[in-house]
Amino acid sequence: MTGTKFHTNLIIAARIALAVAVFTVTSLAARAADSARTQLDEQCLACHSAEGLEMKLGDGGKLALQVDGAAFAKSVHSKIGCAVCHANTSFENHPPVKKKIASGREYSLGMNKVCANCHAPAVKLYEGSIHASLIRDGNSWAPSCTDCHSPHAVMAGATYNPAKGTPCSKCHDAVFTAYSGSVHGKATLACSNCHRAHDVGSPTAGDQVKNACLGCHEDAQDKHQKWLPNAKRHFDAVSCPACHSPQAKRKVDLRLYDNLAQQSVMEKAGVPQFESRARSADKKGAGLDAMALHSLLREFNRDVGDSKTTLRGRLEVSSGVEAHQLAPSTLAIRDCAKCHQQGADPFQSVTVSIVGPDGRPVRYGAQPEVLNSIISVDSLSGFYAIGGTRIKLLDWLLALAVMGGIGVPMGHMTIRWLFRKYAKKITGQADS
Amino acid sequence: MERIYVHPLPVRIWHWINALGFVAMIATGFQIRYIGLVDFMSFRTSVVLHEWIGFVLIGNFFIWLLFYLFSDKIRVYHPELSPMKHFQASFRQAMFYGYGIFKGEPNPHHVSVYEKFNSMQSMSYQVIMLLLVPIQFYTGVLLWDVKRFSGMIDLLGGVRVVDTAHVLIFIFFSGFIFMHIYLATLGHTRMAHIKSMFTGYEEIEEPHGGGK
Repeated sequence: MTGTKFHTNLIIAARIALAVAVFTVTSLAARAADSARTQLDEQCLACHSAEGLEMKLGDGGKLALQVDGAAFAKSVHSKIGCAVCHANTSFENHPPVKKKIASGREYSLGMNKVCANCHAPAVKLYEGSIHASLIRDGNSWAPSCTDCHSPHAVMAGATYNPAKGTPCSKCHDAVFTAYSGSVHGKATLACSNCHRAHDVGSPTAGDQVKNACLGCHEDAQDKHQKWLPNAKRHFDAVSCPACHSPQAKRKVDLRLYDNLAQQSVMEKAGVPQFESRARSADKKGAGLDAMALHSLLREFNRDVGDSKTTLRGRLEVSSGVEAHQLAPSTLAIRDCAKCHQQGADPFQSVTVSIVGPDGRPVRYGAQPEVLNSIISVDSLSGFYAIGGTRIKLLDWLLALAVMGGIGVPMGHMTIRWLFRKYAKKITGQADS
Repeated sequence: MERIYVHPLPVRIWHWINALGFVAMIATGFQIRYIGLVDFMSFRTSVVLHEWIGFVLIGNFFIWLLFYLFSDKIRVYHPELSPMKHFQASFRQAMFYGYGIFKGEPNPHHVSVYEKFNSMQSMSYQVIMLLLVPIQFYTGVLLWDVKRFSGMIDLLGGVRVVDTAHVLIFIFFSGFIFMHIYLATLGHTRMAHIKSMFTGYEEIEEPHGGGK
């Protein structure tokens, strides 16, 4: 063994000993006192509590390196100390003069893996969320762990503040403002009560939010069945806010649905087809008409061979803001005529959608007349609202049948009356 | 004047319940479909009435079905199996309504206990009672609880397909009911056939007149 090798091994051994010492000291300290900081933490904070401490990033931005020691001492992470999350850091390589961080975003995303070391179940749920999906698609705004959980000041049970909407309102401010005035907002329910904290799904796809409603309002179906005909069907085809957010503008979303697989059709990742096909079917660019919708559906059925792709309609509110303006149940819409008559507001705005790769619906506009066209008997076989989406051709047929039913007897009667003398004469001749 | 007992009591009971029921179903059906255009009752009330009356009519249908299945009166519906004979008789009847009646010609059909229907009636009533009415009841029940019967509805092509079939038959009956009432007035007097549906006895007096 040469002197150089010996020297190198000695350094490695010293580093291992330091790491073990750090871990041991941290653990002991954590056991000794929850909020007590270790000597090592104090050493870190000696520099990192300096106001304005920051480093330049590759994208020209700056990464704040200052840690509020007092807040950290109170945080749940003070128990584990600095070294558990920042395990790559040691006194020998710190500050990392040569280390370049491209951007704050890159740094945050990298730290997600560190979170998973202790919070694996939560991170796993998060990985299936719309937020993680957006990040994978390159969205630069979707939140990573540290966007919601300030790592140096995280408090047990205080991540969400229902009164202030944090951390969701940081991005969803307009929605939170609307929500604050709603019946749920006034009751200070947290966003996560409905949307979950980590496995946040797309609210307009799937049943996650509806199930959240029914999770608390367990007797909702029973209560509705007492007065609402076909209540279960309404639960399937009408979103809760469509009635319980009475001031909202409503619309119809026609979702591509695979009848064989019994699930919504999903856009294939990497090869988006829906929008291009819809555009190509919509030759006038005025939104899909009945024929265009029919040919779009045929295109999708061509792909899937035997399986039958259909459209399932769902009545929903026009925006996320309106979805959060839920009123007390006494103000909910109970007048059936709001939807079940021709020209009703919800049927004036129609979209066709597919579930995008990130779980959110990808929509394309359609003309309202698709709901009333005879062609829709085939293409829109799974959606029908009595009165509101009635087929116009059948209205004409009914008018014709009633006019015929009244007109033919009246005409017959009139001819009989006109020929009465002639008929009597012949009858008289026959009798005689 | 000869009186023939052609409408046994169960048939008369069935007929008048059916008549009132169909008028109510057409009225409530019209209200359900055209709320906003006509508003003689609320949507919900018309739906609830439509459902209840519908179930009464389904029960009532079995009075008709069981009576004819278990009595020899079923002969009134026996189809004419010879297409030529049926066509000729139907043609004669159509010629009477479309031409002969204006000249005061006698009705070519002569009512008897087992031949109370003319050939046009027997065929059209069989289509109505064995095809259209059961389809209307069936689609009505499916639409009564779309969720419960979603499997069958999907099998038939979807809720819009089922509803369209229901509405098409509704349209047929909306026109038919006027024709039916009018044809019922073409007896030897205007009220003769209608009266017989109350008493059970058809009066055979004049050689001319119509069916219903």
